[in-house]
Amino acid sequence: MTLGRRRSLWALALGLALAAALLLWPLAWARRPVTVRVLMPAPFADATAAMVADFNRSPRGVRIEVTRGPFETEAVSDLAISSLLLGDSPYDLLLMDVTWTAKYAAAGWLQPLDPWLGPEALAPLVPGARAGNRIDGQLWRLPLLADVGLLYWRTDLMEAPPRTPDELVTRSRQLQGQGRVPWGYLWQGRQYEGLSCVFLEVVHGFGGGWSTDEGEGMGLARPAAAAAAGWLRLLVSEGITPEAVANYAEPQSLQSFRRGEAAFLRSWPYAWQELQGEGSAVAGKVGITTMVAEPGLPHAATLGSWGFSLLAGSAHPEEAITVLRTLTGADSQRQLVRDWGYTPTLAALFEDPDLVKLRPQLPLLRQALNAAVVRPLSPGYAQLSDILQRELSAVITGGESAGPAMEEAARASRQLLQASGREAAA
Amino acid sequence: MRLRALLLMAPALLLLLAVFAWPMLEYAWLSLHAQSVFTGLEPVPVGLANWQRLLGDGRFWQDAGQTLRFAGVSVGLELVLGLGIALLLHQNWRGRGVVRSLSLLPWALPNTVMALGWRWIFDDPNGPINALLGGLGLATLPFLASPQLAWIATVVADVWKTTPFVALLLLAGLQMIPADLYDAFALEGGTPWQALRRITLPLLRPYIFIVLLFRLAQALGVFDLIAVLTGGGPASSTESLAVYAYLNAMRFLDFGYSATVMLGMFLLLLAGSALLLLLPRGQEVRS
Repeated sequence: MTLGRRRSLWALALGLALAAALLLWPLAWARRPVTVRVLMPAPFADATAAMVADFNRSPRGVRIEVTRGPFETEAVSDLAISSLLLGDSPYDLLLMDVTWTAKYAAAGWLQPLDPWLGPEALAPLVPGARAGNRIDGQLWRLPLLADVGLLYWRTDLMEAPPRTPDELVTRSRQLQGQGRVPWGYLWQGRQYEGLSCVFLEVVHGFGGGWSTDEGEGMGLARPAAAAAAGWLRLLVSEGITPEAVANYAEPQSLQSFRRGEAAFLRSWPYAWQELQGEGSAVAGKVGITTMVAEPGLPHAATLGSWGFSLLAGSAHPEEAITVLRTLTGADSQRQLVRDWGYTPTLAALFEDPDLVKLRPQLPLLRQALNAAVVRPLSPGYAQLSDILQRELSAVITGGESAGPAMEEAARASRQLLQASGREAAA
Repeated sequence: MRLRALLLMAPALLLLLAVFAWPMLEYAWLSLHAQSVFTGLEPVPVGLANWQRLLGDGRFWQDAGQTLRFAGVSVGLELVLGLGIALLLHQNWRGRGVVRSLSLLPWALPNTVMALGWRWIFDDPNGPINALLGGLGLATLPFLASPQLAWIATVVADVWKTTPFVALLLLAGLQMIPADLYDAFALEGGTPWQALRRITLPLLRPYIFIVLLFRLAQALGVFDLIAVLTGGGPASSTESLAVYAYLNAMRFLDFGYSATVMLGMFLLLLAGSALLLLLPRGQEVRS
């Protein structure tokens, strides 16, 4: 009965294999690496993909799983908030925009990082990148990439960039008059967060600010706010900026400048790569500097940066901190600068000769970072910014004049903060 | 007998209670509380403070007006165009089947994709409409950058998208009308125009009513089209109530007030529907 014997042999082998599997299973389970889940906006998930793969190849008992979020900043926030509202968030780390920190911390969604990273965690960063991470004495976020608002100018049309608002207007008029460019200056005027960023730089240039502090007074109520809003409207009404700017976000303004349609552009560091790339009419003809300001006043650059926060519900905070340290470390940042052209936050990298050779704009970006200004660090920031955007949009489209619009924005902001103060006290 | 009827209705009623009444009650409760990022997302009872704020909130009323304008104009246009298309598709002609399927395409497209497409079409100065205007030697128009034009852009996109749906429902209605009515009417010497007014429209009334109810409810709650096409701008001139409620909940993390905005919108919708129900429906077909 060879057939029967063979069959029983098979059964024996199968039984043995099963027993072995059962015996080894707990062992394998114990050795299974802890998975740290990270939510990042799509561009950063792509940029860190190689690093994450490297990390996962080395045997450390920790595995990174990246969720590739949407492209648009606010859409990422919506996704994160939806999951956080449901209680147990599926993520351990979140790559956050600088403006979310106060809101997320106040909602109780974040764990302070000081116990893990110590009080000196921000010391190796350039001063500009340190802002916006520490709120009420606690560290909520460790920045990975810096971002600052810059003024791009055409080196083929002028010797040096304008330094005051008036110079920018005169230079634009001249160049437009000579028929060398259809437009003078392009920026982001759509009713969205970018408009607040544009305004923040200009209002500093006019000697004001966007403070919401009771002590300092409401920044939007001061004359500089009306002057800044009025100047933005003037750009449109004088034809230095196209009317369509009221619907421009970053891509529209960048594309137009890239086709050589304007003398100046307000954008972020990433635009540099785009403007030097193939198909750009202005490749090799672009310089960067900080925003214009009235004589004697500081040139400001809106700080926008991305950094990691540890979510309060994380089941593996220790492993998550290991991941956070690795991803924000010098090796990781160097790779992001080298391969993707992002701006680092670690001071040492701005002086790294190899990197500076590859990315000659780094010293200029560091200068801009030294001029960085932050948007108000309030849990109610999103609403404060919404109030400002609404009024600015009305000014730019000519529906309202600058003075009353900024007064209204100041009034609404004050009302919001007072009401929230009452709620918080209740 | 009554008990039996109630028992038979119970599953449906329970379902309605679970998916409709319960969330509504939850919202009503929320609207009497402050639950925002400033309270650490804990609900704090505030009485009618949210409702007081709603009554004095110029933005709510502006958005309510804009939402009504959007819904009224776009549903009106859709009804007229939809009826025209339905009448055309009801006729017998070669290739009708193909055109019927093709005309449904806009309706099959996801709203966000459609809105993104229109955002490109209306682009200034690179969109095809402006290219056409430029080619004709006319000035280009900042469709999405001007508060006067942007709301018209939203209406155009909505009409393009939902007219097929209206046409489909009305076409179904047209096919329910017996053909011999028209034959008899023609024998009596009635003109086609009279036939439209005396037979088609009166018999189509219940269908028009359904279309109005569906479309108005949908258009008054418009969100995705606006969010993608204009983001509510410029100067909040295209913001709808649903966008405002979303901003309050997801961006500002102010759930108490967001619930109040939603309920306020619901009450307006309820009032609108009640007005519609008062309209004569002409359901009965006299035989």
